[in-house]
Amino acid sequence: MITVAPEVNQANANNKLDLANLSPELTALEIKNLDLYYGDKQALSNVNMLIPKGQVTAFIGPSGCGKSTLLRCINRMNDLVDSCRIEGEINLQGQNIYDKSVDVAALRRNVGMVFQRPNPFPKSIYENVVYGLRLQGIKDKRKLDEVVEKSLRGAALWDEVKDRLHDSAFGLSGGQQQRLVIARSIAIEPEVLLLDEPTSALDPISTLVIEELINDLKNKYTVVIVTHNMQQAARVSDQTAFMYMGELIEYADTNTLFTTPSKKKTEDYITGRYG
Amino acid sequence: MVKQWFKSGSPWIWMTGGAVSISLISVIGLLAMIAWKGLSFFWPSQVVEMQLEGSVAQQTVIGEIYDREMVPKSRLEAAGYDLSDYQAEYVERLLVKTGNREYVELDFRWVLSTDIKRQTVPADLAVFERSKNGNFYGYVVRVLEDGNAVVEQPVEKLHELVERAVDLNEEALDLQNSEIGHINYELERLRLKEKSYQLDNELTDERLAELNARRAELREDYKVFEKRLFELRKQAKRDQVVVRDMRGEEVTLPLYQVLDVWFPNDMGFFAKVGHYLVQISKFVSDDPREANTEGGVFPAIFGTVFMVMLMAVIVTPFGVVAAIYLHEYAAKNAITKMIRIAVINLAGVPSIVYGVFGLGFFVYMLGGSIDELFYPEAAPSPVFGTPGVIWSALTLAILTLPVVIVSTEEGLSRIPSSVRHGSLALGATQAETLWRIIIPMASPAIMTGLILAVARAAGEVAPLMLVGVVKMAPTLPLDGNFPYIHLDRKFMHLGFHIYDVGFQSPNVEAARPLVYATAFLLVTVIIALNITAIGIRNHLREKFRSLEH
Repeated sequence: MITVAPEVNQANANNKLDLANLSPELTALEIKNLDLYYGDKQALSNVNMLIPKGQVTAFIGPSGCGKSTLLRCINRMNDLVDSCRIEGEINLQGQNIYDKSVDVAALRRNVGMVFQRPNPFPKSIYENVVYGLRLQGIKDKRKLDEVVEKSLRGAALWDEVKDRLHDSAFGLSGGQQQRLVIARSIAIEPEVLLLDEPTSALDPISTLVIEELINDLKNKYTVVIVTHNMQQAARVSDQTAFMYMGELIEYADTNTLFTTPSKKKTEDYITGRYG
Repeated sequence: MVKQWFKSGSPWIWMTGGAVSISLISVIGLLAMIAWKGLSFFWPSQVVEMQLEGSVAQQTVIGEIYDREMVPKSRLEAAGYDLSDYQAEYVERLLVKTGNREYVELDFRWVLSTDIKRQTVPADLAVFERSKNGNFYGYVVRVLEDGNAVVEQPVEKLHELVERAVDLNEEALDLQNSEIGHINYELERLRLKEKSYQLDNELTDERLAELNARRAELREDYKVFEKRLFELRKQAKRDQVVVRDMRGEEVTLPLYQVLDVWFPNDMGFFAKVGHYLVQISKFVSDDPREANTEGGVFPAIFGTVFMVMLMAVIVTPFGVVAAIYLHEYAAKNAITKMIRIAVINLAGVPSIVYGVFGLGFFVYMLGGSIDELFYPEAAPSPVFGTPGVIWSALTLAILTLPVVIVSTEEGLSRIPSSVRHGSLALGATQAETLWRIIIPMASPAIMTGLILAVARAAGEVAPLMLVGVVKMAPTLPLDGNFPYIHLDRKFMHLGFHIYDVGFQSPNVEAARPLVYATAFLLVTVIIALNITAIGIRNHLREKFRSLEH
């Protein structure tokens, strides 16, 4: 039971968005009436939200509230779970990603994802970064070199690894591996980057580096982050959604949500009364 | 006190440690025994001359002491030996290898140590290794070069002449196997071609003329080679050596039948080591002679390795593909579970059952159909419809398939799902993830499966007796005649060779050390195959060292 005193990102306090009526050109993702079932058990019920472009949106909530499940809906990773059934829509650039005509691989190229634990492939650092490009059949060495440098710089890893690009990725520390995974994701230039508790397996210093990186990333990508760490949500995000028992309880800009929550449940959670 | 000892857990440690020690001792003991018995055979042992007395007919015995044993006196007396002036309860009996098979009844004889009056090791006793009738022991009397006795340094001359004869014989054999063998092979192909034209009703006069012209050409070549062959043989038959054997009679040995001659009692240590190494290399590289009781085992080594490699090439892709389907694509339900259990149980089916299946399905059905479809001209003699190396490899491939499937599946399930998800999240399809990430990461497990499969397959004999192994294969499955790899041929196998030499040989005593030597060689070959595979696996493991959090 810790009481949280959120230190809200002041820079974001000025440009408040009307999240309920976001204009289409500012919207990256529209989640509409989303229900999700694992077998008979309902894991998400009637989630509606608009995620703005070029900003960091955080999902918070107690364990098992469905925040990771919701995140995985956005690039259809839940398809890998046999018993999972989804109703409702998620619109990306005006296209429902659950439409039958959607190519899941193409969707995932557009919506990158970074997982809880760093998961580099058993290849060199270089090969890890160009993996997505090789899948697309790009073989031009110059282009690949260019992307590797750009992505590693984008993930704030270039200076640390530029002399050992062809060494195994397993030689990196946990934090470096996680940044490598981020570099791997941004190498294919997605629209949206999903981060599923990206720092939960890392030490405090690596966490700090990643948080700074998230701040840089939002200039180019729409970032959606799931975190169980409320301070982190407060530090890095522009909008925060609080979820509880599969429902979206409150969704507001981070400043408002942490200082003047409108729902009792949100207040209880952020003041540490449960969770 | 005892109770406390039990409680402390040390009996448990002693028991488990003891089990490990017993296993180790049995394995090392086994290997040491076959290595000793097999390898000591090649050492040039002393040849003794014994003067015997008593009831034996042959008073002088020349030979190598092969074995000794203690026999109860009472048993010998019951057998009719007179041992009244001998006190001890046991009598030593020696087994002497006397050689000279065509002149004495038995080339091995038991001699009672009580009968030996005098035993000497004369330095001038010679051992002749011959291509027929085994070793010959005796004293060199005369060396005849082209019918004339050599006067100066006959022993040096003898070595020289033996070498010459061996070289000539080798040249003749080469000529016979490669050039003449090639012509015979070509002639047979022409015959089949003519017959196949006949069957298709396409044998025009033009074609027949062409075939006959080629035949005439080959026959011309043949005549030339034949003449050369006879010339070589005549050359090789030029010299003889006259030897006095243990009966005291002079025997003329033609040198073209002598492979080597040495004087073991006159050899220093280093000469013996040299001779030993030469004998071992001959054993590994020569063809067998005399119904496999003499000579080398090269065709058997080659056959074993070739068949096992062919099997590995067949079983690996099959097993890996099956494991991938079971683990990656098949629905996780009761049917998949049943299939998996069935696959695991297949590994427990006795191998001879696979042999019977291979004979019925591969040889008769598959091979028979291939013959009907593609080789109608060869009928009635079968090409693929008879046991052969390809059927042996296939039979052993299904025998070892479960091993590969099980260990590949294990490897697949050890790959963390986070890596799969990482690849999928980058827009890879399941198939791309499989090829680029999963299979490379599972390759050490695939190699483990292959190691187990090779170890099992190299040691199998029973099913092979039905589907392709023979006592003596005239040709290797690999040679210089088009298409170079002959998968339809029968082959020799070290495991079967052990059985054949040990149990089917006309001369048990002569064959016994060969059984050990071959067994040791088989173990060596299997270990070599395994070490190669383990080396590759360790290399792969290092490369794909997985994310072990």
